[in-house]
Amino acid sequence: MASVKLTDVKKIYDNKVTAVHDFNLEIADKEFVVFVGPSGCGKSTTLRMIAGLEDISEGTLEIDGEVVNDLQPKDRNIAMVFQNYALYPHMTVYDNIAFSLRLKKMPEDEIYERVTNAAQILGITEYLTRKPRALSGGQRQRVAIGRAMVRNAKVFLMDEPLSNLDAKLRNQMRAEIILLRQKLDTTFIYVTHDQTEAMTLGDRIVIMKDGFIEQVGTPQEVFDTPVNLFVAGFIGSPQMNFLKANLEKAAGGYVVDILGVKLPLNEEQNAVLEQKGIGSQEIILGVRPEHTAVLFDNAEGAIECTIDVNEMMGSELHLHLSSQNNDKIIVRLPTVDLTKEQRESLTFGNKLYITFPAKVMHLFDPATEKSLIDG
Amino acid sequence: MSESSMKRHMGLRASRTLGNTLIYILLITISAIWLIPFFCIVLQSFRVESTWQVGYVMPKVWGLDNYRKLFSSDFTRWYTNTFIISVFTALFQTVIVLCMSYTLSRFRFKMRKPLMRFMLILGFFPGMLTMIILYRVLKDLGLTQANAVPGLILVYIASSGMGYYVSKGFFDTIPKSLDEAARVDGATRFQVLKKIILPLSKPIVIYTVLTAFMGPWGDYVFARYISFGASAGMNVAVGLYNWLTPDQINNNYTMFCAGGVLVAIPVTLLFLFLQKYYVEGVTGGAVKG
Amino acid sequence: MAQLSDLEYLKLSKGRRLGYKVGRFFAKIPQATLNAFQRIGGALKSGVTAIGREAKDIVTTFVNGDWKTKLSYLVMGFGCLARGQILRGLLFLLFEIVFIGYMILSGAYWLSMMPSLGKVGPTETYDEIYDAYVHTYNDNSFQILLYSVLTIFFIIAFIYTWRVNIRQNKEAERILAAGKRLKSSKEDLHSMVDESFHKTLLSLPLTGIIIFTVLPLIFMILVAFTNYDGAHDGYISNLFHWVGLDNFNTLFSWKSASGTQSYAATFGEILSWTLMWAFFATFTNYFLGMFVAMAINKKGIKGKKLWRTILVMTIAIPQFISLLYVSKMFAKDGIVNGALMSLGWIDKALPFWEDATWARVSVILINIWIGIPYLMLMATGILMNIPADLYESARIDGANPWQQYTKITLPYMLFITGPYLLTSFIGNINNFNVIFLLTGGAPTNPAASSASGSVGYTDLLITWLFKISTGAESKYYLASVIGIMVFVVVSIIALIVYNLLPSIKNEEDFQ
Repeated sequence: MASVKLTDVKKIYDNKVTAVHDFNLEIADKEFVVFVGPSGCGKSTTLRMIAGLEDISEGTLEIDGEVVNDLQPKDRNIAMVFQNYALYPHMTVYDNIAFSLRLKKMPEDEIYERVTNAAQILGITEYLTRKPRALSGGQRQRVAIGRAMVRNAKVFLMDEPLSNLDAKLRNQMRAEIILLRQKLDTTFIYVTHDQTEAMTLGDRIVIMKDGFIEQVGTPQEVFDTPVNLFVAGFIGSPQMNFLKANLEKAAGGYVVDILGVKLPLNEEQNAVLEQKGIGSQEIILGVRPEHTAVLFDNAEGAIECTIDVNEMMGSELHLHLSSQNNDKIIVRLPTVDLTKEQRESLTFGNKLYITFPAKVMHLFDPATEKSLIDG
Repeated sequence: MSESSMKRHMGLRASRTLGNTLIYILLITISAIWLIPFFCIVLQSFRVESTWQVGYVMPKVWGLDNYRKLFSSDFTRWYTNTFIISVFTALFQTVIVLCMSYTLSRFRFKMRKPLMRFMLILGFFPGMLTMIILYRVLKDLGLTQANAVPGLILVYIASSGMGYYVSKGFFDTIPKSLDEAARVDGATRFQVLKKIILPLSKPIVIYTVLTAFMGPWGDYVFARYISFGASAGMNVAVGLYNWLTPDQINNNYTMFCAGGVLVAIPVTLLFLFLQKYYVEGVTGGAVKG
Repeated sequence: MAQLSDLEYLKLSKGRRLGYKVGRFFAKIPQATLNAFQRIGGALKSGVTAIGREAKDIVTTFVNGDWKTKLSYLVMGFGCLARGQILRGLLFLLFEIVFIGYMILSGAYWLSMMPSLGKVGPTETYDEIYDAYVHTYNDNSFQILLYSVLTIFFIIAFIYTWRVNIRQNKEAERILAAGKRLKSSKEDLHSMVDESFHKTLLSLPLTGIIIFTVLPLIFMILVAFTNYDGAHDGYISNLFHWVGLDNFNTLFSWKSASGTQSYAATFGEILSWTLMWAFFATFTNYFLGMFVAMAINKKGIKGKKLWRTILVMTIAIPQFISLLYVSKMFAKDGIVNGALMSLGWIDKALPFWEDATWARVSVILINIWIGIPYLMLMATGILMNIPADLYESARIDGANPWQQYTKITLPYMLFITGPYLLTSFIGNINNFNVIFLLTGGAPTNPAASSASGSVGYTDLLITWLFKISTGAESKYYLASVIGIMVFVVVSIIALIVYNLLPSIKNEEDFQ
């Protein structure tokens, strides 16, 4: 159980490619932190630097207050679960889990106790005598977790542990990891490219892109107040809608103008913009699909769209719309309140009107891609 | 099925049968061509009437005379020499090759690429060139001619590190994450090799031992150079070669055949049992380049 | 030929694509050569700047270093000892003592003799008492050359170690300044099986390679600039000396002694046959081996394992047995001629080894016999890796078996085995065994042969080298020049292939 602190950590490969830029982060004891981002964003490299599998080019890494830059992985007291499980194919499940304990020269009785205990928690007791190749993907995953569990390590690292599983198993294992975390009560660092995993598992999420940290925050924070276009687009599914619009500074406050439709901002937003001294300018307006209000008839402040595709998801519809200047918009519409006529009218080519309440609008500067209000 | 499609179907089948028949004929011919010389060697090793060319294959008088004569000649000495050389070479060469290939497959150090390029370029020189000086140095050390056996072992194993390609290709196929998992689990690099990689490398270890054993078993050039005319230091290849020189062939031809049979038997048996690993090594090595 | 864009290229017909590729291949040669030179230039430049950087670092370390570091410039390992790293310090110190001792006791002598390679040769004096000639052996050119090369290696190693010693001092100062602890001797030892394990693993193989390959090669390259041969062995017969580029002039001069052909002409003949041989030996084996593999792998052929085993077994039998035996089978009075004559098919023996063309074709054919099993194995492994759906979709697209072969099998094979083909070609250039055991170079080429040794029509550069160094005059210097030429030829081929092949293989990208 330990805190982890990264200060100005950099990874530069021999060929002068910088994979991670000035990474600064403090992870508290017993915190569950998720690194998330598209492939090649440096999240795995950072994790591997913490594990000691990659050299740290610059900066310092502290575990429990001790600088561990030059320590070998075995001396860092960490446990790690790999994406492809990395089970030793020539050993039984029991020996796989016991491997690290044997290296520590722990008495066999104690090893037995720990291994069987871990196996019980993970529900793999009956497979202890098998070799890894005789196991299914989910079972292998459990063994890999078991191998990390018995160590009682200070920090628990997981590198995309669920990405080799099918969708159903992934959901199940995700829940189990949450349970496991409660049982182990240790520091977790978890790497994934899947924003759903990040949102459901993490106490805090670190969103990365091209070796830079884009935003750090709780799931709620990064969802509600994304600091830039990338975070706004990355977190949330389906993706946030982006529309070209203009911000106009009027007497009564700021107004967003989309193709002549003017939508006012609320007081809070006005205050921030005012304080930052922002005038009238072009913006990119971001609105999440679930925050879009659908009007079946034209009204004040309604934007006219055409329906392209109507996807039936069961409890809700995903409507793919085009605005009049051809911005693509996705709208999530619960089916429960719809009348039969309304449902039938939602077909290709028909018109539909949408509008956005002030508090769900995210404003981004097209040049810097930064949020005008948050961050 | 309509009549025309039936006809077409039959035609297809007929042409396939014809094709397969042709292939069988081809394979039988190939097998014959490949095996006949070896049959001839075996047959002639039992031929008692011993002039070198008789213009027929089947011996008129069968007997073990040639083998009997072999055992009273220097052949036993050559055979022992070869066996000793091969065993030691197989042992040391395997260790060296595995050290080299494992390192180049698993470690990323600054000199790795330059080292590999350097060894590639080194391989462009004909190895025979170094023999001129090696012979003289070994001679100064007293390791040539009658004492050629230790000298030859030294020559064979010394540069074996350069033949790392095939086994490196094999190591490259073992996922790196196994090493990493073991290191996180608390293993030193040495323990990773001992406890994780070596147990998984049985095929390549056997392949390396097999090829290292077979190399000196049939080597002619180095053995001839280092033994330099001294019968006591020769291996089977050099010794038997001398039996086929124009002045000896008339007396020793059938003995050469008998010797050849005795030389081929152990290697062939070894090969039969370990064929699987050899095939794995050859195909794996080729794919990896 | 102008470069086309990818799309323009795809528009060409098959024949014109080939023409384009060949044209581009040649069009690129000047650029590739230029690039190679530029790369060499760049490497030189970065080498010079690296040395400059090192020198600067050495000076600044001295200026900024404490007295322990400064003293280490003179007494290696002093800094380590003074800072408590006993093991390292002792090793450094020991190395310095050994080096200085060696240089004083013998290294300096060898180096001083290197320019002359010996001053006093063997002498012969008449001893009246014993009524016999007494031979006194004095300087030894061979040892002088060998030990001066060794000494130079030793000096380079010393300079490197000295540099490491300085760098470690700097590093130690830095670590101590940061308030951290230096590694103890015990930790140093432990690191040999952990973070420095690769050094431990490499030490044995690399020592072997340096002593038994690199050193001898450098020695032999130097021999090309001396007159070292049987009559000048450097000790017993005569000393040998530096002769500059004389030996290269000999090999490349068209002037000839009376009655024999010039060396240049002989070299040209042997080189062209060597290349011809390497080409045919490589590609006949490659294609026929692939063909046999495909025949065995064909659907519906029974006994796959049997056929394969029959061929594989022949790999096990040492080549010297099979080659020597086959060579005798095809001899003038051999079994093949005997059988053909008793069948009445021929009147007189076929000149398998007596006629130049017959002999050359025969070695290539017999080499197929040797090589097919190996190639068959390799091809089988690769063929089985070709995804079956490639063939299925080709069949649905209407490709016949021949088209499937040329469009799928062959490109796939060539792509995967490209590097193998190169190694195999180089291996065949140096294929001593097959030629020497089959023909020994025969039949003799009377024009090229001189008093010093016979040269045959099937001799490769490598067997020629062998004959020259073992022949009556043992012209080691000439052998060494030929060896260098083999290196040059192989390097040129490798360079061309490496530089040009990947770019023309784009289309065959299967990965």
